[in-house]
Amino acid sequence: MTKPDELEVAPGFEHERLEGSVWRPSNEAELREGIEKAFDYRGDITIMKKDGSTVEGYIFDRRDTLLRMIPKTGTEKVTIRYADIAGLSFTGRDTAAGKSWEAWVKKYHERKAAGEKGIALQPESLE
Amino acid sequence: MPVPISQMWTVATYVLRQKLKGRKQYPLTLMLEPLFRCNLACAGCGKIQYPAHILKQNLSPEECFKAVDECGAPTVAIPGGEPLMHPQIHEIVEGIVARKKYVYLCTNALLLRQKLDLFKPSKFLSFSVHMDGQREHHDFSVCREGGYDIAVDAIREAVKRGFRVTTNTTLFDGADPKSVRAFFDEMMALGVEGMMLSPGYSYDKAPDQKHFLGKARTRRLFTAALSNRKKTWRFNMSPLFLEMLMGRRNYRCTPWGMPTYNIFGWQKPCYLLQDGYAETFQELLETTKWENFGTESGNPKCSNCMVHSGYEASSVDDTFGSLRGFGATIRATFSKYRDPKALKQLDEPAGLVQLKTNDREEVHV
Repeated sequence: MTKPDELEVAPGFEHERLEGSVWRPSNEAELREGIEKAFDYRGDITIMKKDGSTVEGYIFDRRDTLLRMIPKTGTEKVTIRYADIAGLSFTGRDTAAGKSWEAWVKKYHERKAAGEKGIALQPESLE
Repeated sequence: MPVPISQMWTVATYVLRQKLKGRKQYPLTLMLEPLFRCNLACAGCGKIQYPAHILKQNLSPEECFKAVDECGAPTVAIPGGEPLMHPQIHEIVEGIVARKKYVYLCTNALLLRQKLDLFKPSKFLSFSVHMDGQREHHDFSVCREGGYDIAVDAIREAVKRGFRVTTNTTLFDGADPKSVRAFFDEMMALGVEGMMLSPGYSYDKAPDQKHFLGKARTRRLFTAALSNRKKTWRFNMSPLFLEMLMGRRNYRCTPWGMPTYNIFGWQKPCYLLQDGYAETFQELLETTKWENFGTESGNPKCSNCMVHSGYEASSVDDTFGSLRGFGATIRATFSKYRDPKALKQLDEPAGLVQLKTNDREEVHV
């Protein structure tokens, strides 16, 4: 295996497509695996709690026995214990899915070849 | 001098105070992200991939000041997102300047000209304008044609009004060292105080990419661009860090040197990786498992990193850690790095790879 110091080109990555999927763990190891995926996810997650309630928001932190999120409807940080979680649903849109550097390069050359001026990618609307 | 004497003195005395106190982990620059929202949509960016309700949030000026006071670093960089989109950015800057911290407001400059009236020139405030190379290269990198011209116009205006202006440049795979050198000439001709450079990094949450600039190629790129240095070029960064990029020295990562604070809290472990958040700076220092990060740790997320947020603080620590380090810094400040081999490399056919339409290997970061 090539040492990092000798690498000419470092390998890239591809994110798992999780949007729309539901994670229903049957044990603690599966729950932790799901939480790790949810933590890495670039969109909102809906937490299904054992008491039947749900919370949808962005997970920004996870620790030994709890995770922290900012709910979609507020700005306050919310803490949820792993022990209270029944399942996870990847309900929010993956905000970077379908976008890639390669896609931009392709799009740029196509638009350039078509004679377009002022080629740009626009930030998405927040509404 | 690339950095004003007063700023150098502030940083030097701060670092020496930390050394005298025996502090092993101390912050040098706070990376304060008051928002994640941006008016660009750069395809390689990993900083803005959040749901709309997160992108709409801002840190309040009070939250920013609390982080600045808690951290205690002598310099504060304000990246984002695009900080000029923050409705109270002028209040934030004013409050940090009042604390006599050296502020680098990092901006793509699309809004700079129209917002300049909100700020007052000060030795404590620099606009650090994101410029990724000459016109075509910059526009391609930020995915917006015309971006370079807007930024250059804003730089001219800011310089004219007496503001300190620096540039910050991320070099990606395929960057043409000859063009990079021409870009340095262009920036210095605009009257900027100094330039900052860094290689690109593969952010965890960035859109998918096939491959990135490896360390060996990074060193060659920076050697070609930074050897045989022109007298007119000034770099607003540690000369020893530039030597590291050129492969002339090695450092261990000191991620606590440039801690990051944003709406989630204090980011673990560094500006680039998101492994969770702490509520206080002290908690960040005490609870982050630092041994799991940095090239030496074997963590694959760190193996390819040579970014300033991990290594510039290491090089500054080296400068003030020994007479040898200090001497090396003096030598590096005045060295031109004569290197005939690097000069020859500039004659090799190049050009930003992604902008070429021939059959050269297409690699990107």
